[in-house]
Amino acid sequence: MNNDPRQITLTEWDEHYEHLQKKGLREPDYGGVLSRHVGDGNKRLLKLRYDNSAAALRLWNFLLTEEKRLHQARAEGKKIVGVMKDLGTVPVMAYSLDNVAAFYPDGAWWIPCVMEFGAGLLEVADSLGIDESFCPVRAMLGAFITESHFPIPDKLICSVGATCDDFSAIAQRLDALGYPIMWWEIPHRRKPESDETAVKLPGGGAAPKSQIEFVMSEFKRIKVVLEELTGQYLNAEKLSAGIKKANQVRRCLAELRNIVFTAKLCPIGAIEMLVAEMLAIHFCSDQNETIIVLTELVNEVKSRVQFGKGVLNADAVKVFWINPVADLQVMNLLEDCGGRICGTEYLFSHALDLIPENVPAIEALAMMALADPMVGSSVDRAERICADIRRFGSEAVLISRIPGASHCALEGKVITEAIHAMLEVSVLEIEVPPVSDSIHPTLCTRLEALIETTKRRRTK
Amino acid sequence: MKKKTIIYTCPYVPAEWIAAHGFCPSRIIPKAAGNPIVPMEGVCPYVQAFVNQVTTSREATAVVMTTVCDQMRRAFDIVTSSCKLPGFLMNIPSTWQHVGAQKLYLEELKRFGRFLVTLGGKTPSNKFLTEIMLEYNNARSSILAMRKYLTSSQYSQTIATFNRDGKEAVSWTLPKDKPPMAGTSLAIIGGPLLEESFSLFDEIENYGGRIVLDATETGERGICGHFDMDKHQDDPLRELADTYFCIPDVFRRPNNRLYDWLKEQLANREVRGIILWRYMWCDMWHAEVHRLKKWTELPVLDIDVNANEKGLSVRTHLRIQAFVEMLQ
Repeated sequence: MNNDPRQITLTEWDEHYEHLQKKGLREPDYGGVLSRHVGDGNKRLLKLRYDNSAAALRLWNFLLTEEKRLHQARAEGKKIVGVMKDLGTVPVMAYSLDNVAAFYPDGAWWIPCVMEFGAGLLEVADSLGIDESFCPVRAMLGAFITESHFPIPDKLICSVGATCDDFSAIAQRLDALGYPIMWWEIPHRRKPESDETAVKLPGGGAAPKSQIEFVMSEFKRIKVVLEELTGQYLNAEKLSAGIKKANQVRRCLAELRNIVFTAKLCPIGAIEMLVAEMLAIHFCSDQNETIIVLTELVNEVKSRVQFGKGVLNADAVKVFWINPVADLQVMNLLEDCGGRICGTEYLFSHALDLIPENVPAIEALAMMALADPMVGSSVDRAERICADIRRFGSEAVLISRIPGASHCALEGKVITEAIHAMLEVSVLEIEVPPVSDSIHPTLCTRLEALIETTKRRRTK
Repeated sequence: MKKKTIIYTCPYVPAEWIAAHGFCPSRIIPKAAGNPIVPMEGVCPYVQAFVNQVTTSREATAVVMTTVCDQMRRAFDIVTSSCKLPGFLMNIPSTWQHVGAQKLYLEELKRFGRFLVTLGGKTPSNKFLTEIMLEYNNARSSILAMRKYLTSSQYSQTIATFNRDGKEAVSWTLPKDKPPMAGTSLAIIGGPLLEESFSLFDEIENYGGRIVLDATETGERGICGHFDMDKHQDDPLRELADTYFCIPDVFRRPNNRLYDWLKEQLANREVRGIILWRYMWCDMWHAEVHRLKKWTELPVLDIDVNANEKGLSVRTHLRIQAFVEMLQ
């Protein structure tokens, strides 16, 4: 058995799992052979390639058992909070309380991919008039109606204002269908004017103090709602402790990203990194376990880097990836074409930045919420992306359009122009549906063109 | 001397506030962008048309865009990078049910006022703002009273003309006779209309129908309520903000006020059928089609205006004709 770091198929994982077990693999209660998740209908897993480490196994098992974890939480009497759209801020508040499990129903957008449309969620959305002209997040509507995935939350809290129209429109339908939503306003982030006090935001950028104060007032409303739901008082100490814990997760991720994106040899594949980053937004419904899972990953990649081991060719082109991809397999595809991910902006970079601990907790959260790349202009977003490209030494940029998403039609042009104005890197825009098999030849051609062009640039 | 013009399209931008600063407010009605200056795949035709008009405008001093729609919010980046026109992006809260959101809107109006001052405008006194508001109050009341004396096309055009060119451009002389009130009573609801879309009203009359409620953004729905100047005597701006903030729209969260408003209007006008006018890629209205059909007992015709059509497509004509005939 080859124990060197490499990417293996699900079938190969079965054999490898036995081998790891014989070597004394220790797993948490949600552990087990990966292929068992295919039995739950997750057919896409059969077509992906995975990292062969025990740390990656734990990561995947953690991700793929989240629904069970949420049902378990309900059975244990915990309150279930469905946080929507803000991607990373309100869960910090929710997890500051005891007996709460908070998650993003938005995450259902990957179900059509992972189950290769087998769940029928898009058909349900279709039947409600939310057709394919909307972003795949419409699967969320189907997940609520069918009640066959996550438990229906006790409370739904959704940000609205400077958000994408798809999500806002779908959430409104959900509200009208009898799933009442507590709406909170996130204003469009603007640059402070000369006569305004500016507040520096995590991750760079700034917002006027008045906007911070407004968002703080919104978080105070949310705080009351959470307190009423749980019967607990969410005082400043609890909230600060919650922020510290969230920062533990963010520090782990920052270390992981830094090691992986700057390593000479790519120590772990793009899919595992995407899954790891996703843990930041709501901790996959278990904050403590998230820290353990990420720590194991960090240790694994550290060891690989130390011993000069990697999973991809040494000459792989360093690609910066923008937007989450609707079909996870395309990340494998990029690697097949000679690329590796060195830098990402999956719409939630604000969930990766450390939350300030030197200001009052509510203010710190308001700063986080306003640092969301989606609530400001695409030009601001491009500036942050360029800073990260420089930091990680990315050689090319891939903008992954989300089919139907209201923001994608306009942001690609703005971001591309901004990147070209600041850096000499190639930018490619692709659109990826939830299951992209039928367009793989086209995608491969475009990805190969990006890789070849970038390699040619190296030699000049 | 001709006043400088501030162009915009969103009903939440108060014309009175612009006028009180010494500018000419113009809520433009864009022409369909047959050849978009900035081709953008997946962008709503109205946004494309607006971008086209703004980036080629020679008369405007500045443009105001708002956040009521994500594509319009993002198009602000395109506009400001494509032309030299000064731009202001006004944040319109989606939520409305708490004081904080209303206050946010009021603060945005004040910030907008400061922007207008940078363009050479003058901060209005309360007295002057009140005068302007009363002027607009009267003009709007007169227009609303004209409904029974005009054809549906004339009425909707009058509203649009007033919003674009001011009261001087409106023909205040009423026809001697009321127009025939024959035809099946219909409502049109949806987003804003393009200039070419106004032919729709006459077409509907040709088919035997009559629009008795123009609930598009360009029509009656996009008109703010009547100012109560006694309510905030010393603070007319607050009255302005409170009144404009109540305009019902689909983007509001929750948007039940739109349905409340529609319920009342549909009953008052004895509407027998609804035409929902929406643009391709407009998620806000698209998502409401199914809900609207379930909500009302009236037949609903869903018209999706795709691409940058100059005028209505044959398909759209035929669908409207069939809809009107079905109701007769």
